[in-house]
Amino acid sequence: MSSLAEMATILLAPTDRDVVLGDLEETGVIGWSALGSVLGLVMRQQMELWRAWQPWVASSMAFAGSLLLLGVSFGLSVNSRHLLRGERGYGSVLCEALLMLSWAWTSGFVVGSLSGKTRWVSGILCAIPCLSCVLRFHDTSLSRLCVLLFLLPAVIGAVQGVRRARLSHRTALTLAIAMTALMLVWGGRYMWNWFLFLPAWWLVAHAERSEPSNKKVAG
Amino acid sequence: MLGEFEYVLITAAAGLGESAYGAAIREEIEKVAGRNCSIGALYTTIERLEKKGLLKTWMGEATAQRGGRAKRMVRVTPKGVHAAKEFYEAMMRVSRNASWATSKPGRAS
Repeated sequence: MSSLAEMATILLAPTDRDVVLGDLEETGVIGWSALGSVLGLVMRQQMELWRAWQPWVASSMAFAGSLLLLGVSFGLSVNSRHLLRGERGYGSVLCEALLMLSWAWTSGFVVGSLSGKTRWVSGILCAIPCLSCVLRFHDTSLSRLCVLLFLLPAVIGAVQGVRRARLSHRTALTLAIAMTALMLVWGGRYMWNWFLFLPAWWLVAHAERSEPSNKKVAG
Repeated sequence: MLGEFEYVLITAAAGLGESAYGAAIREEIEKVAGRNCSIGALYTTIERLEKKGLLKTWMGEATAQRGGRAKRMVRVTPKGVHAAKEFYEAMMRVSRNASWATSKPGRAS
């Protein structure tokens, strides 16, 4: 068995890995031909995923969401500096921070739940504006990493989205209402930020209406 | 309706019956249809057909011939048989006046 082909099977799901290596062994395909077969399967599996709408929505959301959240992170950093100088109240900055956390988490959750298998594309599309922004950052009074404040909650949300896929209806609705109320309290100064509510209300629309089946089994 | 390769795959799997699995189906397609069948085309089509409910797959036994690795066994579901029959009948209907189906000399265009 070609060791290169065997290494390439890391890109496949564990069950596929065993089956494909077995097929190659049985048919006596070795070397570059075996490597081509494995990579061909990987390519086709990836292309097959893009026949559905979910990866398209997820990657668009990852790109557009990161653009908006870069601005939100920067705004929060500037306002935190104003807070430390006593030029701003705690309430406003706290609202902004909570909103950023919830926007980032819900966006990440929706991206993860919609496209677990294409998450690497969503990750790249999120990383491009982040890198571009960090490299062009000129404000010397702030660290250039301040624009990436949203990344950690977004990544946590994405990991949880991949694992769980849906929230319960009550949790999703409570979260969406709390976020909207927080925005109204804060003032909603920037119109584009209202787009960041789409993931939260998407979660409400696609929430689990009944108790998960595993709870019923356990009970 | 099924695609051409989907039909070929279902027909090969149905013909192999209980011994239908990835490598065997691939060999059957190459032998009977006389076309090259890559592992990529085979397994992505199997996955697609399984999602449509036309095939059922499960992990089979591991053999020494395969280096102790398991086979992915394949069975055509009743829905798959119906879809294949529908494709076959449609091809028969659409071909009924074709020269190669009636053995009449064809018209040159």
